Amino acid sequence: MMFSELYSAYYNAVAAILKAALDHPVSKSEIRSIVEKKAFGESVLTIPAALEEERWQLLHPDGTTPLSHPPTLPMTNLEKRWLKAIAADPRIRLFGDDLPDFPDVEPLYRQEDVIVFDRFADGDPYEDAGYIERFRLILRAVRERFPLKIEIQGRRASPRKIELFPDHLEYSEKDDKFRLVGVTRRHGRNTVNLGRILACEAAGTSDEDFFREDSEPAPPEQVTVVMELTNRRNALERVLLHFANYQKEAERLDGDRYRVSVTFDRDEEADILIRVLSFGPMVRVTAPDSFIAQICQKLNRQKSCGL
Amino acid sequence: MAYSERIKDIGRIRDYLREFFVFGFRSREEFTQKSARSYDNEKRRVESWLGEYMQFRQTAEGKNVFLSIDSRAMNHNPLFKAWKTKSFTDRDITLHFLLMDILASPDAAMSLPEILEKLDGMTAGFRDPKTFDESTVRKKLKEYAEEGIIQAEKRGRTVAYRRTENSDLPDRALLDFFSETAPCGVVGSFLLDKSDDRDDAFTFKHHYVTGTMDSEILASLFDAMREKRNVTVETINRHKDRVRENHVVPLGIMISAQSGRQYLMAHVPRFRQITSFRLDSILSVKADEICEWYDDLKARFERMRSHIWGVSTHNESGENLEYVEFTVCWRDDETHIPERLEREKRGGSVERLDGNRCRFSVWVYDSRELIPWMRSFLCRITEFRFSNQVLEEQFAADIREMYALYGITGEEDEDA
Repeated sequence: MMFSELYSAYYNAVAAILKAALDHPVSKSEIRSIVEKKAFGESVLTIPAALEEERWQLLHPDGTTPLSHPPTLPMTNLEKRWLKAIAADPRIRLFGDDLPDFPDVEPLYRQEDVIVFDRFADGDPYEDAGYIERFRLILRAVRERFPLKIEIQGRRASPRKIELFPDHLEYSEKDDKFRLVGVTRRHGRNTVNLGRILACEAAGTSDEDFFREDSEPAPPEQVTVVMELTNRRNALERVLLHFANYQKEAERLDGDRYRVSVTFDRDEEADILIRVLSFGPMVRVTAPDSFIAQICQKLNRQKSCGL
Repeated sequence: MAYSERIKDIGRIRDYLREFFVFGFRSREEFTQKSARSYDNEKRRVESWLGEYMQFRQTAEGKNVFLSIDSRAMNHNPLFKAWKTKSFTDRDITLHFLLMDILASPDAAMSLPEILEKLDGMTAGFRDPKTFDESTVRKKLKEYAEEGIIQAEKRGRTVAYRRTENSDLPDRALLDFFSETAPCGVVGSFLLDKSDDRDDAFTFKHHYVTGTMDSEILASLFDAMREKRNVTVETINRHKDRVRENHVVPLGIMISAQSGRQYLMAHVPRFRQITSFRLDSILSVKADEICEWYDDLKARFERMRSHIWGVSTHNESGENLEYVEFTVCWRDDETHIPERLEREKRGGSVERLDGNRCRFSVWVYDSRELIPWMRSFLCRITEFRFSNQVLEEQFAADIREMYALYGITGEEDEDA
């Protein structure tokens, strides 16, 4: 069963409290701190009281426990079944060759049962040995925080080399591609498509070179687009679901008219522009002027095509 | 009943989370489907779990609550928290930790009387020691055996219980990634909760988080598909506030990476058709009998797939398949356009007409589904044709309406 107390934040919080109590008598403030970390905003009102009042008979008044072993839980069948299902995913090899194998359970699903119908067809080559090797090195560099020397195939130009201090990997479900986000000495924040990387190796330089005080990478610039729409052809739900992955706000203006604001990073502007266009006359952008100008430019150009 | 942060049924909160996250413009007074007290309780729970993402707006109609999450800025789906709120009794949690402590090693097998004796010993030091009757403990052990964490083995006339062998957790990065990208990813989040270390090597773009609320429905459908069963799905039409039972044969799950919507594709014997059901409209799934012709239906679905653009298998024109074609042009510095057509064409064909023009064509069950995608090429469409005349006229009318919306007269310089 997926919705089970076995997986609950409360069981996890209590397990952490009992683990501490096996090591030393736990204080009220320590219990509170564990609950704040492991459970939810209002859990501090219930968990410490339930233990203190001995409704949950797991902790003595002196902060010790009748348990003799740190609480652990074997993997459930559901967890094994999920792991067995993802073991058949082509991306699994990116994470190593020792795959989970649970002969005693059926996979939770089979790859052929799930179809992502609008994913782009030119995703990264997850079964290419060179790609796998580079991915593993990059992932290790992200986790262990060391700089990389990377050779990249340019879109039109010949290959170029950069040194980059990696921060994280970004995966796009629509593009089915990984991007490496990091910092270069000359250009600050930089993003590299893994599919364009021809070669990479540990740079062997110090990370301090990348983080001088005067070259701290600026956070991505954000843009907020404001749209107005009339709820016809189920436009409201379609727009709100479509932009549900961004910070957004919706408000009713009157009757069937709504205003929706969507905030995104500047580097996504071109993508957002065509996504807004895809809603046709169902939505009208009212701000910012620069975004409206881009829409007008596209429509003017469309009109010049004779339609 | 007194308010509790924990809940018994995930279905109750599913609607509220969807409402706060996807819509977020309705005031307390507009939540007519439940009582005001119920609304207050659900809002309080969501605030307790997801307070950092919760925002409020005061309007003339009242105070609106909404969740605003930039999925690109987070490592883990915050809505997973809803799955970790299951209610339990004082007895449940006490028995759980004591039992798992008594059966701490997979090497030690114990009978029920031995376990009961140890339980009594462990609660003896409390002011009002809890005692557990045989039936309660047996029931809990049976439940845990079904979950796979306890094994029951016959020892002559008695049954002995032992903990299941621990399995090593996979690499944390693997769990970080697949918990966000694989179906029922919340299960990966349960596994991540077993480890204390933080890694967070990944972020996700074009990532829709609400689908997690349908995970239990999805898992039931996966089971039925594996067992080749008929199912009864209870669906809700939210526009009409109507609930209906559908007897269907589940054949596949289709997911949109561009909107996060998830659909069940199923054969409906009553209409002899394969059709789609949105997962977030399915309230429950009940497994029925095995479907004898399951493989034939699955093969039929596979044959249909190349003509399904999105998820629709019907149209309003009455034709079996509808035809769509359009031509796009590009400037010399826009070579990404033919590449875009190639990677987004699905079951369609792309024909190069000359150095700067391509024609896309496709036969689909429902050409209405192509229209949003076609509009994303606005600024470069030179011709289009639909076999469905109504849609052809609508597409042209929509373009004219867009010109009017933005005051496009065609007199401006296109690059102005």
